[in-house]
Amino acid sequence: MKIDYKIEPPVVEGRLSLSQIEELVAKPLETRPDKKFFIAIGISGTALLIGIICVAITLHYGIGMWGNNQPVGWGFGIVNFVFWVGIGHAGTLISAILFLLRQKWRTGIARFAEAMTIFAVICAGLFPILHTGRPWLGGYLFPYPNQHGLWINFTSPLIWDVFAVSTYFTVSLVFWYIGLIPDFASLRERTASKVKKIIYSIFSLGWRHSNRNWLHYEKAYLLLAGFATPLVLSVHTIVSFDFAVSIMPGWHTTIFPPYFVAGAIFSGFAMVVTVLIFVRKIFNLEHIITLNHFDKMNKVIMATGMMVGYAYAMEFFIAWYSGNPFEQFVIINRAFGPYAWAYWIMVTCNVVFPQLFWIKKFRRSIPVMLAIAILVNVGMWFERFVITVTSLHRDYLPSSWGYFTPTLYDIGILVGSFGLFFTLVILFTKTLPVVSISEVKAVAGGAQPSHHGGNH
Amino acid sequence: MSNSAIEFKAKQIPDTLSKLGLIILAIGVVLGILAFYTDHSRALFNYLIAFMFLLSVGVGSIFLISLEYITGAVWSVPFRRIVEFLASVTILLFILVIPLLLNMHDLFHWTHTEAVAGDEILKGKSPYLNTSFFIIRVLAGLVIWAFFYFAFTRNSKKQDLSQDQHLTTKNIRLSAVFIPIFAITITVSAVDWLMSLEPHWFSTIFGIYFFSGTVLAALAAATLIVVLLKEKGFLHPKIIDDHLYSFGALMFAFINFWGYIAFSQYMLIWYANLPEENFWFLHRWEGGWIVVSILLIIIHFVVPYSALLSQPAKIDPKRLKFASIWIMFAHLFDLYWLIMPNLESEHGYSFSSIDLVFPVSVVGILILVFNYNAKKYNLLPLGDPKLERGLNFRL
Amino acid sequence: MNRTDKIFGIAALFDTPDAIINAAEKVTAAGYKKIDVNTPYPVHGMNKAMKLKPSKLGFITLFFGLSGAAFAMLFMFWAMSLEYPMIIGGKPFFSLPAFIPITFEVTVLLATLSTVIGMLTFFFNYPNNNHPLNGTAYIKAVAVDKFGICIEASDNKFDKDVIEQLLHHLGANEIETIYYPKDEVYPIFQPKYLMFLAATAIATSLVTYFVLNKLMFMDPFNWMMVQDKLIPQEKSEVFEDGFGMRKPVEGTVARGFIPYPFMGEPTPADVLSNPFLPTRENIELGKKKYLIYCSPCHGNYAEGDSRLRGQFPNPPTLHSVRSREMSDGMLYHIITNGQNIMPSYASQVTREERWAIVNYIRVLQRAKFARESDLQEIKKESAANVE
Repeated sequence: MKIDYKIEPPVVEGRLSLSQIEELVAKPLETRPDKKFFIAIGISGTALLIGIICVAITLHYGIGMWGNNQPVGWGFGIVNFVFWVGIGHAGTLISAILFLLRQKWRTGIARFAEAMTIFAVICAGLFPILHTGRPWLGGYLFPYPNQHGLWINFTSPLIWDVFAVSTYFTVSLVFWYIGLIPDFASLRERTASKVKKIIYSIFSLGWRHSNRNWLHYEKAYLLLAGFATPLVLSVHTIVSFDFAVSIMPGWHTTIFPPYFVAGAIFSGFAMVVTVLIFVRKIFNLEHIITLNHFDKMNKVIMATGMMVGYAYAMEFFIAWYSGNPFEQFVIINRAFGPYAWAYWIMVTCNVVFPQLFWIKKFRRSIPVMLAIAILVNVGMWFERFVITVTSLHRDYLPSSWGYFTPTLYDIGILVGSFGLFFTLVILFTKTLPVVSISEVKAVAGGAQPSHHGGNH
Repeated sequence: MSNSAIEFKAKQIPDTLSKLGLIILAIGVVLGILAFYTDHSRALFNYLIAFMFLLSVGVGSIFLISLEYITGAVWSVPFRRIVEFLASVTILLFILVIPLLLNMHDLFHWTHTEAVAGDEILKGKSPYLNTSFFIIRVLAGLVIWAFFYFAFTRNSKKQDLSQDQHLTTKNIRLSAVFIPIFAITITVSAVDWLMSLEPHWFSTIFGIYFFSGTVLAALAAATLIVVLLKEKGFLHPKIIDDHLYSFGALMFAFINFWGYIAFSQYMLIWYANLPEENFWFLHRWEGGWIVVSILLIIIHFVVPYSALLSQPAKIDPKRLKFASIWIMFAHLFDLYWLIMPNLESEHGYSFSSIDLVFPVSVVGILILVFNYNAKKYNLLPLGDPKLERGLNFRL
Repeated sequence: MNRTDKIFGIAALFDTPDAIINAAEKVTAAGYKKIDVNTPYPVHGMNKAMKLKPSKLGFITLFFGLSGAAFAMLFMFWAMSLEYPMIIGGKPFFSLPAFIPITFEVTVLLATLSTVIGMLTFFFNYPNNNHPLNGTAYIKAVAVDKFGICIEASDNKFDKDVIEQLLHHLGANEIETIYYPKDEVYPIFQPKYLMFLAATAIATSLVTYFVLNKLMFMDPFNWMMVQDKLIPQEKSEVFEDGFGMRKPVEGTVARGFIPYPFMGEPTPADVLSNPFLPTRENIELGKKKYLIYCSPCHGNYAEGDSRLRGQFPNPPTLHSVRSREMSDGMLYHIITNGQNIMPSYASQVTREERWAIVNYIRVLQRAKFARESDLQEIKKESAANVE
């Protein structure tokens, strides 16, 4: 394909008019759900039900139902937590960092990615809460004046997690809602149904698309993006601190913070690609979510995949370079010990397969990118599994070495978290505009005054 | 749109600049030679700081060029030449590295065979840390960087005349190859030149730490030149605040990135408190070094962060000039903090006037390198297809 | 009609962003102040055309961000270093690096929430669905793809005809006069709504009360309260004999155990001799332990005046001749072994402390039966103190 660098590639394809864009995005909200919708929600609902049953059984008998035991005290609970928090990073990355980098193509996918962030963080939050064994006492995690005169341990990375994840959830929700306000106003003007109009009126807060409001709104969006960017880094950094502040070989290494962040963006983008492929097809959004979008996301996947590969290599090199026998043992054991299978799944899925994206044809081919995105998600799940389990299962005392095997309940809850995630995603596609109407309008062809920013 | 070439006739760079550069460099060289005679090892360590700074600017600039191509950025196109000029410092490194390679024995503890023989850990590292492999790595790194420097700039300059869009595609492909190679080479340089000064210490994040400083130094050097040129009217009149804002914002972002990486490294070592790691920080916390360490936080993070925080500050030329000079100084200070504690000394930190000598030559070299290139080549990549979009860039 | 006759303003619609920028520039240039532009998305360059000042929102963010940082840092400093100092991981009470993550999170949380809430309420006066523009055809159009400008009647230069002419001249498609809506009875004050609110509140409280106080103690929600673990004073389910703790293996000797040869003998033939000199430290220790363990029955001065108010028989005074003439070893034996109804104190008081108590009893006895020479000694001392 010949590219002309002189002209800016259009973000919205097919020369859609502003009202056509709105029509297209609002259509799923105005039509009755079809058969495909019920089949999809049936599948995800079943998975969710499996999860609910497993959680109920866990609450009944206690977390002894899970596979984690000495020496692997952190099993699926933490693996799934880190996995889902990681998935949640793409949304804020797309909406905040790409906003700061003035990447206009983000508009088509930002809303959806933000929604995925929120749902992924909900899924992530379940696991540590369940792992505490007494989820109803979760309030103890927050500092409140109590009768013991005690405060929580502010120097514990697990408490940092509580602060980071809850802040992240709140800020993502606010960010998402702020973006939705103009769209609620547009929907309020569109809808014929009285009930919907009341709901949209409440959520639009009376938005009038006034330029005096847009002025502050854009500033607020910039400020929020400015805060969300370091926030998104901090969240996975703090998750990495859970491991890295310990003195466990294989956990304690200084590259963990940026390595985890890169991995989170990597897996998050893979999940966004996976889901968007279907959404784009089902809701006919090919002109708004174009192949160019996927091309760029796949480049990000490839880049972050190589960053993760760099971290794997650095861990290996420094373990050897450090001259620390424990460090060396853990790394060798990872690659060639009983969990070698997991390690090599991780390496092939995260480092080898994304290399296919060097070829432009693959970056723009839906089946190839779907396959790679799913493999990346598998690989990233195994990365967390490898970090958690292989470092623990052979600790300093060879007499207490063991092999971690998940139970049915571990797997059931993992399946359930996927069910919860996809149920929320499917419900979202039918209740809210999956693409930001006002943002996409703003980047459509001819939407901005010609003497400004365009050609002179 | 019209295919009309962008009309731009650059003003001649005044001859006084080269004189100024020569004078500064001459003073720097004389002082440097004097320094080597007064205190050989101290001067050598200071020379390493200056060398690493020039390496940061040169290699960091090549990285900035490749970043522009790979991301398809348009705003930076009118300034790419300035970054290319700075990148040519990389070629000078071939000469500048010679004194270091000749005096490796005074720099690196691991070159002392008798010390390695009595140390199990150093013995284990000797397959990597040995003189011949070290020299091979250093030269390989320089050759790779020089190759990419020539490849990028050759295509870019060819384009001035031919306006061939294919050359942009070529450079994009080149940057895709360069960036992973850059990650490896910059990490190896960081480990070799900085980490191995204290051969017992190790940190997996160290390559990224040095990378963050590298980009900052290159970015600050480019920003300073851009702002100065714009003030004196050497740049295209269509370059406006929005372009400056991008420089300011990028510097601000990398200041935060450096802070993040530095904090992550310190935090994890401080928290775990393992003796095989923490001694490196403890050494920088002893005696007078504590002042230097705390100053590093202030100089490298607090001051530039506050200077660039507000939105108007990122477009104010005065503020940008201050910030870019300050950031270059901060990178020097960072290198000082990394390198100087390894100088064998009995009583902790002591200041010496030798520490001030070598940055003088650095300034002279940068001025001369810029002057040489600016006289020889266009200040604007006239044939670049993205140039017009770059000039019309709006936030 | 659902409107009054009072004019809010005049609104005009345009088709292209260029037209609206032009219109905004011209209307502003004509000197109108109370104007607003409504566009489906922010149009670049509009703020300049309307001559709007940059948003001051950043100050709210800055203020709340800084207060969040200060609050978090000070709070952690207070809680971890002053209120309940605890050494964790060998780190100082005020461990700055470990406080940074939470400080950062609180800063971000407060800054973003205050920005958004400040913007919506303070800058926009939202929620407000009763603005005269809401529900007009004008707003319906600008929500989709039209670009509108509205000049309000409160502007000093407001003149309906002049403005309509100006807007026509600028190429407006449609010109609409906007009227104030009739004052609505806010549904929030209708009794029906108030009743609904009250019912919701009551229902929520009842459900909360039930869940927290009843449901959590019912099957199956109380299941995790029942655990196979040892509870003090309760029968153990784990072992057959019902005891939670196991007896040590026969012949086990506790660490530091020194056998006492006269245990269980009411009148031992021989006693130990006091191995401790009555030094100041030893007597101080004896005093402390005496006041804790002995004084409840024997009284603070060993006069047999117990504080137990007859709940336990009073022991005789320790100032009797018999007590005074008892050897140190015998006193030690009584503390160790017990006497009459006095139980053994061997498990509460260590060997060294028991000898210290003996020494302290000797001090009390000496104080009660001081000799002339002791008086001289005291006088000498107090005289020395006066000088």
